[in-house]
Amino acid sequence: MEKYARQREVWDRMADAFQPTESQTSVEPLADRSGKAGVGTQPTPPKAQATPINLVGRREALQHMTQNVLAGLTLALWSSQPRAVEAAASELEALELPELPPPQPGEDVLMRMMRDLQRALAKPKEQRHWVMVIDLRKCVGCHACTIACVTENALPPGVLYRPVMEEEVGTYPHVARRFLPRPCLQCGNPPCVPVCPVHATWKGADGIVVIDYDACIGCRYCITACPYGARSFDFGEHHSDNAPHRAEYDMVASPEYGQFRQRQGQQSPVGNARKCHFCKHRIEKGMLPQCVTTCIGRATFFGDANDSANLVSELIASPNVMRLKEELGTEPSAYYLV
Amino acid sequence: MEYNLTSDEVAQQSGAWRTHPNTIVHQLTVAQPRWMQILFYGGLTLLSIIGLIALGVRLLEGLRITALTSPMGWGMWVAVYIYFIGLSAGSFLLSTLIYVFGMEQYEKAGRMALLSALFALMAGMLFVWIDLGHPWRFWHVFTRWNYTSVLAWEVIAYGFYITVLASELWLLMRCDLADLALRTTGWRQIFYRVVSLGFRCPQNQNQYQYCHTQSMQRVKTLGMIGVPVAIIVHGGTGSIFAVVLAKPYWYSGLFPIIFLVSALASGAALMTFLYGFFGRKDEDHFAITRGLANLMILFIGIDLILITAEFLVGLYGNIPEHREVYHALLFGQFRYTFWVGQMLFGILIPILLVTLPRMRHNTFWLGLGGLSAVIGIVAVRFNLVVPAYIVPMLPGLDHAINEARWAHSYFPSFWELASSIGGVALVVLPFSIAFRLLPLFHEIGEQFKETADPMPVTPEQSRVVDQQFQQDPGGVPNV
Ligand code: SF4
Ligand code: SF4
Repeated sequence: MEKYARQREVWDRMADAFQPTESQTSVEPLADRSGKAGVGTQPTPPKAQATPINLVGRREALQHMTQNVLAGLTLALWSSQPRAVEAAASELEALELPELPPPQPGEDVLMRMMRDLQRALAKPKEQRHWVMVIDLRKCVGCHACTIACVTENALPPGVLYRPVMEEEVGTYPHVARRFLPRPCLQCGNPPCVPVCPVHATWKGADGIVVIDYDACIGCRYCITACPYGARSFDFGEHHSDNAPHRAEYDMVASPEYGQFRQRQGQQSPVGNARKCHFCKHRIEKGMLPQCVTTCIGRATFFGDANDSANLVSELIASPNVMRLKEELGTEPSAYYLV
Repeated sequence: MEYNLTSDEVAQQSGAWRTHPNTIVHQLTVAQPRWMQILFYGGLTLLSIIGLIALGVRLLEGLRITALTSPMGWGMWVAVYIYFIGLSAGSFLLSTLIYVFGMEQYEKAGRMALLSALFALMAGMLFVWIDLGHPWRFWHVFTRWNYTSVLAWEVIAYGFYITVLASELWLLMRCDLADLALRTTGWRQIFYRVVSLGFRCPQNQNQYQYCHTQSMQRVKTLGMIGVPVAIIVHGGTGSIFAVVLAKPYWYSGLFPIIFLVSALASGAALMTFLYGFFGRKDEDHFAITRGLANLMILFIGIDLILITAEFLVGLYGNIPEHREVYHALLFGQFRYTFWVGQMLFGILIPILLVTLPRMRHNTFWLGLGGLSAVIGIVAVRFNLVVPAYIVPMLPGLDHAINEARWAHSYFPSFWELASSIGGVALVVLPFSIAFRLLPLFHEIGEQFKETADPMPVTPEQSRVVDQQFQQDPGGVPNV
């Protein structure tokens, strides 16, 4: 775990930098999640004030509204460079990558993927093509990836990046169950991108389809256009909405795109389309996507397909590979082994 | 419902309008009994207040007050939005029948059609605006315009369209507005002065004729530009949906055409209703209402053919994602909006009212047929948008996520309904006022027919206009 100390330090620094000062209160975070997260990848959650809900005063409500208007008019002007998200993320690129042990026989496949990842990160961004491979024969339907993703990205209720679909085949008593985890497939030819009226979502050079939360107007056209149901809309709800106080875990800033946004009022990402981004904030620091790390069956693989030595390149060359709805010409970057 | 004064009476009381300037304004529109007006405007004001409250709640609370879910991304508001865009495009295209294609028998309904088109467009804009997750960022569409997005193109088209509409309307009414600005006093005068945009009255029959011909020519040119723009506006609105390959129900070349035809049907229905109930009750009233009703039935008929074609192909093809939508419409979740809203109100009642021998000679029943279609087409719009969403994008996706915001079913929430009804009232209220105040049914050149007097302007103004007119007969008189 010491290997990640440096990362964590940077995360913490960033978390502090992104944190609004007024949320520095005496309330302690629930727990140091970074200590519990196994590989130790979760940044320390920014300390958040437990805000009572439902009891928004008139002044406060007006203040929110004014803030929204003003923020809408000024902030977005300032941030309207289409590549803002990428810029924020590439800031981290100068990072030192963790040192990995040399390959050993019988080692966890994660180790190989991490080594592959480091090799990919050494190349210029345009030469990488991130690909996810999901071995359906190994998936046991535990939904751990779904939950890991919710935790990693601090997702509110109703926003899910990686559900696992279950299908029952056959008729009783001859039944079996099939599972199909579905991240955003980061289509090569994504139908969600051209429809956006404000160019708030685009395909990055590394093949990841990203959303600029400050640009998105929340029209939900992209959600409609995705043939895989891979986009969610953030309606602004919190897990603790019916509790007397807003829980702190609801106020954890999401590390998405390295931006550490806290969900408050109607500030982005509330009111935006949201989607899986292959944990862009993690991979650019040499970490695998959280769903890959967490998968108990090691059924999910991740890597750079533009590198024949990469594990995923080997996997997607096998004959038992398929992609979802290939007939639509979307060219997904997620492959399934069947 | 009757006029305060017939035109003959006005003519008899020659000069009466000078002492009672507002009389003539009342004379221009229908006067309803007082209690009806109070009821109407009171009700509209109440609904508008509800609309404002709902709008406020929506702006403060965000989209969480809706019953929308991630998979059912567009709901009531989008349906109402395309409904109004359809009404607008339909009314406008009907007005071009008069001003571009020369069907002059409907001329008396022309300004009304344009005015409804203008207000319907504004209503459409209101609803697409409140549907945004970040309404205060709407201007991103201009600063970050994405040329590959149909929605972005549509916004540009709406801008063009509203310009064409407003210019046409102004050109058609400018003489009458200028006239009214001179004849009235007080706030009415200020209103007419503002909307006439400084245009001054022609001084005599000759100038009037000249000015009128010029207006009509310009209106014709604008109308010719407007026809493709209106087609782009509504066909394009249909294309927003038709280009989505993820939704087989929408993904068809026929879809934008269905949008256009049902737009024409809804426009004709609105015209039938408005003209039948509130149009000027003169000797042409029945003929015009009847003609509009016939147009409405024609478009409803074509619409029905197209929809049948889509349904047959979809059902026969039997592709699951496609078929399920039709099943939901015919027998499932949407059977009431389909059978009661779309079929009964939108098609059956209008056809019956317009064709049954007892009804078809009465403008009241014809107007009612129009109203029924106007209401039914709300259901048509709902059925065009929402059912496409109920089929999960991947099998099992509807069960994979047990979250309220991932449900694959939709019924508008209280606030969505309140803001829809209230939002409509918010637009109908100014529309009704404009309907009363603007010279929509003012017969062109009326003032010259009725009074031999020159227009009531100061001798000084009169001199200047005459001078201008002599110097430059091609220009617009302007003092
Ligand atoms: S899966 Fe959907 S959201 Fe992801 S890139 Fe493809 S179309 Fe876009
Ligand atoms: S919801 Fe946001 S990202 Fe999606 S199409 Fe609309 S503006 Fe673009």
